[in-house]
Amino acid sequence: MATFIKHVFVRIHSAVNSWEKSHSPCRRRGLHRDVEQDELQHTNTNCLSSYYSVFVARLAIMVMLAILIGLLTLLTWHFTKVYTRTSLNALAYGLRYELLQRPVLRMWSILNSTVEITTAQVKLSEYVVRKYSKPENQAQQVELYEVMKDVTWALFASHKALNSITIKYKNGFVQAFHRDPRDNSTYYIYNDLTNYTMAGPYDVNASSSHQGWNDQTIHSNISAIWYREPLDPDTGEKIGKQNAIPPDDLINIAGISQVPYGAPSWHVAVSKFTNSPLLSAAMPVRDAPEGSIVAVVGVTTSLYSVGQLMKELVEFHSGHIYLTSQEGWLLATSSTTPLLRNSSDGPKLMMAVDSQDPVIETGAKWLLKAYGGKPPPNHEVHIEKAKLGNQLYYIDSFFLNLKRLPMVGVLIIPRKYIMGKVDERAFKTLMILISASEMKLRAILISHLDARRKAEASSNYKSQFLANMSHELRTPMAAVESGKLVLEEAEFDMGRELEGLVDMFSVQCKNHNVEIVIDLSDDMPKVVQGDSARVVQIFANLISNSIKFTSSGYIILRGWCEDPHSCNENGNFSLDQKALWPAPKNKLIQQESPEKNSCKDKKVILWFEVDDTGCGIDPSKWESVFESFEQADPSTTRLHGGTGLGLCIVRTLVNKMGGEIRVVKKNGPGTLMQLYLLLGTPVDIPQENYKLKYADHNLKVVLALNGSMGRMILSKWLFKIGVPTWDACEWNELTHILQELFIPSRYAQSLTYECSKVESISKQEMEVSVFIIVVDIGLLNLSTDIWKEQLNFLDLFNKRAKFAWVLNHDTSNAIKMALHNRGHLMMVNEPLYKSKLIQIMEAAIKEKMISLRHGMLGGDTHEFLEIDNVHSDQESSNDSEKSEINTIQVEETRRTLSCSRYGAINNCFLELTEVCSERNKLGANETFPVVNYGDNSQERRIQYVEKAINGKKSLEGVRILLAEDTPILQRVATIMLEKMGAIVSVVGDGVQAVEALQNPLEDGMPTQTKMRDPPPYDLILMDCQMPKMDGYEATKTIRRAEMGTDLHIPIVALTAHAMSSDEAKCLEVGMDAYLTKPIDCKLMVSTILSLTKLQPKS
Amino acid sequence: MAAVSQLQRQFIEYATSLYNEGYLDDQFTQLQKLQDESNPDFVVEVVSLFFEDSEKLLNNLATALQQKIVDYKQVDSHVHQFKGSSSSIGAQRVTTVCVHFRNYCDEQNLDGCLRCLQQLNHEYILVRNKLEALFRLEQQILQAGGSIPMME
Repeated sequence: MATFIKHVFVRIHSAVNSWEKSHSPCRRRGLHRDVEQDELQHTNTNCLSSYYSVFVARLAIMVMLAILIGLLTLLTWHFTKVYTRTSLNALAYGLRYELLQRPVLRMWSILNSTVEITTAQVKLSEYVVRKYSKPENQAQQVELYEVMKDVTWALFASHKALNSITIKYKNGFVQAFHRDPRDNSTYYIYNDLTNYTMAGPYDVNASSSHQGWNDQTIHSNISAIWYREPLDPDTGEKIGKQNAIPPDDLINIAGISQVPYGAPSWHVAVSKFTNSPLLSAAMPVRDAPEGSIVAVVGVTTSLYSVGQLMKELVEFHSGHIYLTSQEGWLLATSSTTPLLRNSSDGPKLMMAVDSQDPVIETGAKWLLKAYGGKPPPNHEVHIEKAKLGNQLYYIDSFFLNLKRLPMVGVLIIPRKYIMGKVDERAFKTLMILISASEMKLRAILISHLDARRKAEASSNYKSQFLANMSHELRTPMAAVESGKLVLEEAEFDMGRELEGLVDMFSVQCKNHNVEIVIDLSDDMPKVVQGDSARVVQIFANLISNSIKFTSSGYIILRGWCEDPHSCNENGNFSLDQKALWPAPKNKLIQQESPEKNSCKDKKVILWFEVDDTGCGIDPSKWESVFESFEQADPSTTRLHGGTGLGLCIVRTLVNKMGGEIRVVKKNGPGTLMQLYLLLGTPVDIPQENYKLKYADHNLKVVLALNGSMGRMILSKWLFKIGVPTWDACEWNELTHILQELFIPSRYAQSLTYECSKVESISKQEMEVSVFIIVVDIGLLNLSTDIWKEQLNFLDLFNKRAKFAWVLNHDTSNAIKMALHNRGHLMMVNEPLYKSKLIQIMEAAIKEKMISLRHGMLGGDTHEFLEIDNVHSDQESSNDSEKSEINTIQVEETRRTLSCSRYGAINNCFLELTEVCSERNKLGANETFPVVNYGDNSQERRIQYVEKAINGKKSLEGVRILLAEDTPILQRVATIMLEKMGAIVSVVGDGVQAVEALQNPLEDGMPTQTKMRDPPPYDLILMDCQMPKMDGYEATKTIRRAEMGTDLHIPIVALTAHAMSSDEAKCLEVGMDAYLTKPIDCKLMVSTILSLTKLQPKS
Repeated sequence: MAAVSQLQRQFIEYATSLYNEGYLDDQFTQLQKLQDESNPDFVVEVVSLFFEDSEKLLNNLATALQQKIVDYKQVDSHVHQFKGSSSSIGAQRVTTVCVHFRNYCDEQNLDGCLRCLQQLNHEYILVRNKLEALFRLEQQILQAGGSIPMME
């Protein structure tokens, strides 16, 4: 630096001098003319001195300037360089870290699997030993050994990576299987049985396991003769004669000395059969839990594959990797040099500093020299510039702190390999302005690393690596866990969401002959704050899970609110149910104590149960079902097939919502899942007190329902709120009750228990009461014409009671019409649950009130209803009714949509949306009889009789853009859609689809890049795999173009994939729904309807 | 009229056998249901499209698998397309082979792929012949003045 400045100074000085030389004469001349003669002499000297002072001042300024400029340049250079260096170093470090982690991970997995296999062998051995405990004669003893041999072979044969399994019994007898990797032969090794005592060793009373079992090494046991018989590697059958083998042909046999204090152990061993070190694990076999040790099992695995992985890695990355024990014994290296050294008594492990690979040797020596006997804590070393030979290297070491076998991994990589370009340019960077080149440099390095990663990816080692990695990398779980999941905070009606879910699943349940019931207590807050979509996802997963494993009986979704201040007392649930909530509940509450405080911040604990009568889960798996990734056992996969991921996600979501989930003990068959969520509730909305509300109305309800569980729950609730109830589960029972109730001579004999206190119903009481008879359509005999007779019978009571019908999803329109014509106007879709029943009751009360006001006490309310609703024809279908229909329908659509998002598309989805479309049409074209409940905003599902639907053209006028490249599918989908009345435009790829949106096809060339407003289509059906631009890309492009506008054209994916990951991908890029090929017409139509009806019609 | 009903019976028997032997599935029934007065030849039209498309794809596949370095991604995309089109007309057995084919593609198993191609060829020709026979029967019925019976 000093020389540089000096140099600059000299340069400036000489420059100034030369300037002076050329300019001073003319100046002098100028001055001469100005001052002229008289002062000539005087000025001459004066002038000269002033010249010099000006000179010096100028010179000084210039020098300072020069120094400043120089400094600035240097500083700029310095800082940019430092910054570049650090970022480059970070990148380089990342690469090195990645490189070394892999062999370390592989090592880890080998260790794990070895230990697992050892444990398995021990368990099997214990089983065998206990089965044949106290053998009385030699025959039984031999049988034990035979069984053990078979069992061991099964395990050995199924783990090809194993080098050997050995079992040494307390009496000295040894059984072992061994694979010789050199010629891929397999042997059974055992010793001469006759030399050992047969009786005695299995004395359970032996106080110490060491007693009478001194660990004489096999090699020194001269009396023993060892035999080896070759086996077929696949079948385990003997394929040759057994031979006596010399002691030095023997493999390592784990003995008692390897399991000191009876604890499992592992260490690195060597064998003359393989040139790679072996990992050897040993574990004791006990004759009883906590009993004495009767045998020792040893399992050895070769570390060969670790070295193999290292070799593959350095092929792409150059450099050298090795793994040593903490003491420095080599376990695996990336080089081909031997890992073992031959000594007079067989092969021995080798220290890293003795390696024949020069780089590893010098590297190890370098490390030894640098750190001596005192390695840094954690053994982690990161050297940027280590000079080995005449080259600079990076040296990194990482420490794998395993109990009993700590290991150190070392990576030595030539510096020029990673930083070559950087080092090379370091000199040039001095010269040039660095800011520009820095980016370039980084780009070079990044592309360098990228290219390498790609090369790596193409090789098959990657798949091996992935196979060994945790599954989580490949599952959506990763996204959930990685914290990408952000829960929404919005108010929603929990009850309504759950009821919608139950509605949705009811069809599927019906088809499975399973009753689905929802039982939410009255104390549930009406509005809670949270992520409704995720809450629904939780229950959708749980319910679909239950459906999968339940073939008969019921599935109940229960929910109640835990008031933290008045715990445990909850009158809504029966005793036996309470008994199901065991100790964990109290424990949970205690854990929740901090949350109790937050209750003041209006947090509530909502408890839920999903209770089914399915096949149940074995108690030992109650925990593991939530972490099913680790389920390696195929039998569990079969048992819980496909549920693993779902439950795991459920637990994550529940935990995220501050709750917990677990399987709890259930009386009787099935599974009982219990969970709680911690959700905010915005304001103290007063709970509805149904008891007070209905007290004055004299409600009386007959529940004639097929599903016994749902009926029981509803009648219990009615009883609680003081509404007398009669139950019937089939037709005859219903007729019986009706006759007793309404035909005076026979009535008052026997009422069901709920009503026993209502001892008699006088005529007056009958008249002021509101009788509601809820009848399941399933009670009618619909297979023949008997149902008409049944309706005739019910007509007898039509004037005295309100009928409410519970319809099936497949109840035909003919039946709905027949009911309607007979004046049965109240209908709900099954399943019937509390809020639907409330609607029915409110409607009935309202009707009663109106009829009272009209002075038609006890009169013909049926006619009145007709006047009010049905006789109001086209003209009277006023706006309020229409808007009502719309709200109902939008509500329904929204829900089906939100459900479809979770992949829970099922038949019910179809059914609901079909109902919507029908309603919509009715609302648009015809009178749709709706009872207006005014203040009751809850009415959603009371479905009144619809007039016949005009044709099937449910997609009338919907404009659809079909992007599909296969002509066949183009044709099929077009016809399907056109048949439904849609207007279809077809394009063959994504590019055209995007263009068509900007400019509808008939307009010709695109003229603008913005999305057209209003959009030319109502919906796009998008094939995912198309030439030029696939459906995913096209969707992304469209969604980008929509950004900033409030446009959102629904896009439905069409794909031949049928995996849920594809669905996730579709939704991720911004598609709204997902259909698989071949196209299911019904599903397509319902999907389109659900999506298009949400859009405001342009 | 006896001839017509004879033909119709034959038609139903033949179509049923196609379903029973797994050549066709429900999707084909769906196609038939889509055919009406406004699209009288819809099924034949779509199926001919399928024939054209399939022959093109089979050629493409054969070419792709003969390359020195097989581009499995391309092969997979052809098979994927084949799967989509065959499933759309309900040619079930072709679809099934496509599914296996794609597995081999994933494994980059050339032998497996070639075997599958052969099988695909075989299944395609089978289903083509069967469908052509079915259409001939249809024609005969129409010529005899009968109507095509609906399959349920």
